[in-house]
Amino acid sequence: MTDAGHAPLTPFEATAEVLEAQEARHPIALIVVVSGPSELVGKRVVVRQGKGGANRLVGSFGDADLDDGAFALGTERIEQRRAPKKGVHELKPTSGPTIKVYVEAHHPQPDLVIVGAGHIAQPLCAMGAVMGFRVIVVDDRPDFATRERFPEADRVVRVDFRDPFADIPIHSSSYIVLVTRGHKYDFECLRHLLKTEVEPPYVGMIGSRRRIRAAFSQLQGEGLPKDRLSRIRAPVGLDIGAETPIEIAVAVAAEIILQWRGGTGAPLAEQERILERFFKGNEL
Amino acid sequence: MGSHNDYDVFQAIAAKVRDGRTIALATIVSVKGSVPRGVGAKMLVDPGEDLVGTVGGGCGEGEVIEAAQEVIRTGEPQMVRVDLTEDLLSLSPAVCGGTMDIFVEAIRE
Repeated sequence: MTDAGHAPLTPFEATAEVLEAQEARHPIALIVVVSGPSELVGKRVVVRQGKGGANRLVGSFGDADLDDGAFALGTERIEQRRAPKKGVHELKPTSGPTIKVYVEAHHPQPDLVIVGAGHIAQPLCAMGAVMGFRVIVVDDRPDFATRERFPEADRVVRVDFRDPFADIPIHSSSYIVLVTRGHKYDFECLRHLLKTEVEPPYVGMIGSRRRIRAAFSQLQGEGLPKDRLSRIRAPVGLDIGAETPIEIAVAVAAEIILQWRGGTGAPLAEQERILERFFKGNEL
Repeated sequence: MGSHNDYDVFQAIAAKVRDGRTIALATIVSVKGSVPRGVGAKMLVDPGEDLVGTVGGGCGEGEVIEAAQEVIRTGEPQMVRVDLTEDLLSLSPAVCGGTMDIFVEAIRE
């Protein structure tokens, strides 16, 4: 998979690769030498993922072990389902001293697919757009699925809920929120989402405890995979006591960030307990 | 999500270098403690012209811009350590309380 024999990329060449990958909506990882022999410092290789999902190394440090190490670091970051960690790593060449590389990955702009164009969808669409998502809103009601109601959306699509994703690609960067006007539609859409070839990183469904339980037992009875069912976020959103549609949208947006970044969802003040410890210290 | 500023910087690099300019790119590659921007934050320095992106606003950016000018002159990349740990309770808004290693390199065609 490595591309030994070729020269490393200059910063300008690597920049062109990143922009091209972004344009093609393919993930890419950038590996930059930040410490080592002067002829290598600042030089780069990239790991690119093509359409079929195969990864390849573009450029070469001229050392098989360095190239293999760079390829492994880049591949690992490309394939993470969460925000990939950026940072400095050591690589050992076949001969000579260890070098340090900085690694970062770039994933295509993620999609936020909002199924149901109602009162939660509107603020969620606006929030998704400012968070950097390409927002797609779908509904079967022509007077709800309109541009006017969703000015920040990339696409507003009228669909048939019996086959809601016929025209909406679902992939490894799709975040999907089911908030249709009726639980039976959410349920139909969920069934489709459990059968997609690629499991999307986030599927959330609104609903009461009773209805969600009924939906899960029905879907499990149909033989849908339990591990995928277990990752559905239902009811959707973090518990912040949300009541209004805007508050619910905030709770959902927060859960999506939690999924992407891997936080705990707990208040930082309670986790860090700085004030509590401070007052305790003062009492002594 | 969240990395769109990177693309602004990458696009600016491509455009400026294609125009024949030599510019400098500063990237935060590691941090310790409380700092204004995380690992991966980038700033393009085109001396006398403009800056695209930021590696921390007031916090240490002056040092980075100085290093950028030197890197463009010499062509040798530098690792700049910005130390923001002094004066934790100073009134300056630029005080953060950590250190950042920032890789600064010249980019030309």
